[in-house]
Amino acid sequence: MPLHDTSYQHWEGRHLGLWRRRRVIAQNGLTACLQNKWMRHLILLCWVAALVMASVLFLVGQLLVADSVVVQWVGNFNPGLQAFARMLTTWLEQHPEISVRTTQNVLFYFFCIGLMRISIFAMGLAMPLLITRDLASNAIIIYASKAVSRGDYLLGKFATAFGLIALTWLGPVCAAWFLGNLLGPDWRFFWHSRAALGHALTYGLSSMAVLSLLALGVSAISVKEKSTTALWFMWWIVGAVVAPIATQTQPWLRHVSFSYNLDQLALAVFRLGDDLKIAQNNIPILGNLLRGIRAGTMAALNTPALWGSMLALFLMLGLAAVIIGKRVKPE
Amino acid sequence: MPFQMLSPFVIETQSLCKAYGPQRALDGVTLQVAPGAIGLLGPNGAGKSTFMKCLLQLQPITSGSARLLGREVGSEGREIRKRVGYTPEQDCHIHGMVGCEYVTYCAQLCGLPFQVARQRAHEMLDFVGMGQERYRKSDTYSTGMKQRLKLAQAIVHDPEIVFLDEPTNGLDPKGQAQILELVHSLWKIYGITVVLSSHLLHDVDRICEQIIIIARGKVLVHDTLQNLKAQKRGAAEVVVADRHQELQTACEHRQWPCELLSNGHLKVEHKAASLNPLLTLLHELKLAPLEIIPSPNALEETFVQALEISHAAA
Repeated sequence: MPLHDTSYQHWEGRHLGLWRRRRVIAQNGLTACLQNKWMRHLILLCWVAALVMASVLFLVGQLLVADSVVVQWVGNFNPGLQAFARMLTTWLEQHPEISVRTTQNVLFYFFCIGLMRISIFAMGLAMPLLITRDLASNAIIIYASKAVSRGDYLLGKFATAFGLIALTWLGPVCAAWFLGNLLGPDWRFFWHSRAALGHALTYGLSSMAVLSLLALGVSAISVKEKSTTALWFMWWIVGAVVAPIATQTQPWLRHVSFSYNLDQLALAVFRLGDDLKIAQNNIPILGNLLRGIRAGTMAALNTPALWGSMLALFLMLGLAAVIIGKRVKPE
Repeated sequence: MPFQMLSPFVIETQSLCKAYGPQRALDGVTLQVAPGAIGLLGPNGAGKSTFMKCLLQLQPITSGSARLLGREVGSEGREIRKRVGYTPEQDCHIHGMVGCEYVTYCAQLCGLPFQVARQRAHEMLDFVGMGQERYRKSDTYSTGMKQRLKLAQAIVHDPEIVFLDEPTNGLDPKGQAQILELVHSLWKIYGITVVLSSHLLHDVDRICEQIIIIARGKVLVHDTLQNLKAQKRGAAEVVVADRHQELQTACEHRQWPCELLSNGHLKVEHKAASLNPLLTLLHELKLAPLEIIPSPNALEETFVQALEISHAAA
């Protein structure tokens, strides 16, 4: 027999607002994702990568000022390299806004592309926890019978996916930028690297939204966890294999790959071609080196297939919306 | 803003229709239901579940209107559902969650702050009779535990009305009795309106005061159980400790058809509007009955009769 009162108790308190209820859905989803050991390892990997990036930014920052610790340290091994670094830094010191901007823009481009791959992998692991399991266990009915609508549920799930990618992508990017510039030789590095951060955030946030919505769409396709996970990875891998082949034969086919489309978006946002031109025009030594880059590569950097990629992504998002609309219902 | 009842009726529908393609699951349902313990009866596929789902906005209404707790279902769905509980017929839970986490989460979805939600979750799990199983994942629960969990999540936010869709499905007789007892107490003791959908007449007869019989998407009967029984007076079940034979002989002597049931009750058709002739007989025999159940099959007879009329009309 229970020792305490087990009778029904009425409650007279005040209900929380709608955004708090949506947050509860997102928080619950994120907590479930973080219970996966591999997911925690993946997030840790991203934050370690952020530390590595911050270290690279520190080293590059040291190369951009004369007689820095790194330049002196390089001299211990190779006096010729030290002389080259000194010559380079003499010019770079005169144009810090160009050197810092260009260097960090290129570095953050590669960092974002790398983190995007890890985030896609993380989405694959989280796939069952987004919508698939709720469909399998009829949980949609439970959500629909509470004080949240279907839209609130989807918003909460979107926030789960977005929050997860924020942990594997946005967070590490911001942390790397802040830490890297904090360790920089000059406070003005924060200001000079604003374009790199701006590009990383623009690309990161838009791609995170796209990836989250696509992941929700795939997650709603089936009630079988293995099916949705396999589908996500297959789409990613097959797309990544098809895109380079299709470039030679059927160029439109490369847009089947969502990662290719996001890569093109990255090229359009970071505008690496502009940075290379600035470097070519302003740094005589680099100018010769950069002229060695193949014309095809330069063309790809200067003119990414932006509109085709945007159209393909819109179509994919439309398809995801249709799947979600059809599948996520109480019955 | 505090939620206020805007009408004396908890459920009001006007020509409510729900169609799945050419098939009409609800066909012009017009009702005004006062608070209480309400039994929603009908054969399988009659439209009981659809009726509840339309009221909860789980299914869109094809035409007509519906108000729940005095508010328009179509436009104030979220606000209404803060005050409404629902236990679906089918098995549903959130995968990977332990019982108490699940009920806490459901309370939070209705807008309860986390601390309150957690406390109420444990209170409700106590109320439905769940012990340490609450710390196990709900995926591993037996049918009985799942039914209790469903009831707990439906009442954790202190609703004003609870819709229970076949809450005793898959339970053994003891489990059924316990769940029905809990449901009964919700209205009788705690004042929460209960809408119990079932095809088991006995369940409804035991705890409900108002009866709605639905068949082929139409409401055939909507009345209090008392009134329905009054219409079917003339029979009673008498429970006596001994001397069954003597009572049976006395009844037959008065030309009252009499039958000894397998549960030991004596079913007597006294054919009178009141129980007085039967009581007089018992007095004459100096027989003290343990219990007299007036109109024991009133609900069943009304149900069958309503269905026959419905079939004939179709």
